Amino acid sequence: MAKTGKVRGAAEAACILLLTVLAAVGLILLCGASPSDAGGLFVQGIFRNTSSMMEVFVKACPLILTGLGCAVAFRTGFFNIGAEGQFYIGAMAGTLVSLNLPFNGPLNILLVILAGFLAGGLWALIAAVLKAKFETSEIITTIMLNYIAINFLGFAVRSFLQDPEGNVPQSAKIALENQLPGLITSTRFHAGIVIALLCVIAVGFLMLRTTAGFELKAVGQNPRAAACSGISVAKNIILCAFLSGGLAGIAGVIEVLAIQKKLLEGISASCGYTAVLVTLIAGNHPLGVLAVAVAYAAVQLGTGSMQRQLGIPNAIVSILIGLVVILILARKLISLIGSKRRRA
Amino acid sequence: MALLEMKHICKSFSGVYANEDVSLTVEKGEIHALLGENGAGKTTLMNILYGLYTADSGQIFWKGREVSFSSPREAIAAGIGMVQQHFSLVRDLSTLDNVILNLKTASLFLNRKKERARLMELSERYGIAVDPEAKIADLSVGERQRVEILKALYRNVELLILDEPTGVLTPQETAHFFDVLRSLKAEGYGIIIITHRMSEIMQISDKVSVLRDGKLVAEADTADTTPDELSAWMIGRKMALNIRERGKAGDEIMLELRHVSRRAGKHTHALRDICFQVKKGEILGLAGVEGNGQKELAEVLTGLKKKASGEILFDGKSIMDAGVRERYEAGLAYISDDRQNDSLITGMDITENLALRSYAKEPYATHGVMHRGKMRQDALGTMETYQVRASGKTGPDTTVSLLSGGNQQKLIIARELSGNVRLILAAQPTRGLDIGATQFVRDRLLQAREEGKSVLLISADLEEILALSDRIAVLYNGGIAGIVDRKDADVQKLGLLMGGAVSAGESGAVGSGTDKSDIRREGEK
Repeated sequence: MAKTGKVRGAAEAACILLLTVLAAVGLILLCGASPSDAGGLFVQGIFRNTSSMMEVFVKACPLILTGLGCAVAFRTGFFNIGAEGQFYIGAMAGTLVSLNLPFNGPLNILLVILAGFLAGGLWALIAAVLKAKFETSEIITTIMLNYIAINFLGFAVRSFLQDPEGNVPQSAKIALENQLPGLITSTRFHAGIVIALLCVIAVGFLMLRTTAGFELKAVGQNPRAAACSGISVAKNIILCAFLSGGLAGIAGVIEVLAIQKKLLEGISASCGYTAVLVTLIAGNHPLGVLAVAVAYAAVQLGTGSMQRQLGIPNAIVSILIGLVVILILARKLISLIGSKRRRA
Repeated sequence: MALLEMKHICKSFSGVYANEDVSLTVEKGEIHALLGENGAGKTTLMNILYGLYTADSGQIFWKGREVSFSSPREAIAAGIGMVQQHFSLVRDLSTLDNVILNLKTASLFLNRKKERARLMELSERYGIAVDPEAKIADLSVGERQRVEILKALYRNVELLILDEPTGVLTPQETAHFFDVLRSLKAEGYGIIIITHRMSEIMQISDKVSVLRDGKLVAEADTADTTPDELSAWMIGRKMALNIRERGKAGDEIMLELRHVSRRAGKHTHALRDICFQVKKGEILGLAGVEGNGQKELAEVLTGLKKKASGEILFDGKSIMDAGVRERYEAGLAYISDDRQNDSLITGMDITENLALRSYAKEPYATHGVMHRGKMRQDALGTMETYQVRASGKTGPDTTVSLLSGGNQQKLIIARELSGNVRLILAAQPTRGLDIGATQFVRDRLLQAREEGKSVLLISADLEEILALSDRIAVLYNGGIAGIVDRKDADVQKLGLLMGGAVSAGESGAVGSGTDKSDIRREGEK
């Protein structure tokens, strides 16, 4: 049974891959470009040199963290669509702390990351408490909280967080010694990526090897049975939401400290929403999130090079990702229908 | 000419007869009760009539003409209405909207004023008070039922089928509901009422048909029969009870409930002043028709439901403030009647499900880090001991949803009975199991008793209750209707207590009091 399941899973994955490639070829033809040229440029865009290859990780970094957050939440049955807002809240809190701490250096960075984690976590907690206490749909509340967070950032960079030296809607620059340093010369590979990878290990360990992770999974799969065994459903929903929001908050802080070096609008590049898709594709598995996030970033870079050279719109990435997600969901639908038929 | 005649109806589901050669006749202006235990085939028979199922064989005559409905829509069009046990109303729509929903009208436009007037006329004529503009979500269960009945009457039905209509009503609502039925009867409607409550049958019906194991075992004029006779027909005398030689139960008290009460919630039954004791080394059977507070009592005992008043003493200590886990660790195990929802996480594997109670403790976890190898190794041993069969290759890694019902139950019992268990709360522990698995479960409970542990056995199956219990308490309408010793108990006595037809004092049993002033005692002589 398990073996045939694996074979079927592989066959389905191959089908999805094939359909996606076919769709890509179709879209490239629609642009009047040659698929083989485009393919060449795609590969080149990723593997041209060390810098481009490291760029994959730079792009993947916020996705890894927000995706990891989504994975923790989804596994517990908490559909946190709010990584975007939690990212922004984390970025804001981090910037605020970074600019106001009386000292600089590693301790400053550490406290800033902690602040981002706490702020993102607390932001997600709002939705979790509403769900645990009043059974409010977290899907709705997290999306609404996103609007608030995104617009509050716009407000912040025009008021209390605005750079007093200028009149652009952005914060003051983060002091050099408080930035996350680059690690490989002539690339943008930075210390934040290492933090993201450490988070994958830590969260993966928590989810798969600890009693806390076991409880989260039990609550996600059958909250009623979990409660009957003495596992607190409310506690675990709150815990997973906090962790989930916190990871997105760290992603926001890293984006500020390592890439932009200041706070400004739109810094998430919507990674909080992309993370939901990444996590769905990864099947809520922490290592899966890592792999899918890196793959997603690579595809983005590859198509970026296609756009520059052949004028193929970058939007192709979003179209293909949408397609993949629909195919994966459809696969679940098909197996669901299949099992229902068997039962009847 | 009879209004309805069903002749020799047979229906089987995967080889098991749900109805076997059942015949039923209903006249105009007759209230016909269909009596039987859960699973006796009452609802199946009605669903065949209503077009939800197709009979394997047999004929249905409606006003003298042979019919076979392939959907409820056809049945309604012919004049047969059914109020299901679970209502089919749209919660967010008003009463009027629900009544006229899916109604065939000649015109394209809806004349709400006219429809409303007609609804109000019907409502007045039969004394079924409703507010046409009230949203269903805001109505009580009793009110919703009235809407369902009006919905059927609005469609000009001549025969009304009511599936367990009083199960959800308070005694006052029931009394009013019966008045409505009487006025419908006077108007010439045929009514079939599905129930297993003896007192109500005696009160309202003209005729009664009794089903048991899918067969029609008796048909009688209500006036010519008695609750005793009915309960004997319903439950049967099939049981050859082999009570094993067993030691005397201990005298020490393991569990004591003192005046435990809990208010009814939206979806929960009330508990009324429940008092009983379970001794060490004793099996106390808790009999009763389902839905009389069993689930609520079990959840109050396990700690799943809070907000109960009174006192629960476990081995002399109050556990009212203890959580689910603390109670388990004190020795209170729970085998739920809803194994797939309450007791198992079917998407997880056998190893994980076996460890659901103990995953956080040595030897399965140290400082929060789990030792899966050890868990799996122990799971292998447990599967051996409890004969849990899974596919050979995957063994303890098998997902629980792939196991048979019997193996799932063995798994639950293996888990709950491991560790320091002192009282087993077992709800319907053998429901849906095959003979082998049933025997296994019963043996385990008896073995636990021999080891000096206590068992509180909640079951609607009297045969099981009589076969296993030392004493038997009967739950009726959220209270204890009576407690009798096994040697003084028989099917008739328990059946009457279960039906609320008689209270314990009058049947010669000893028991704690319960408020029965609102139950009409039609069954007494």
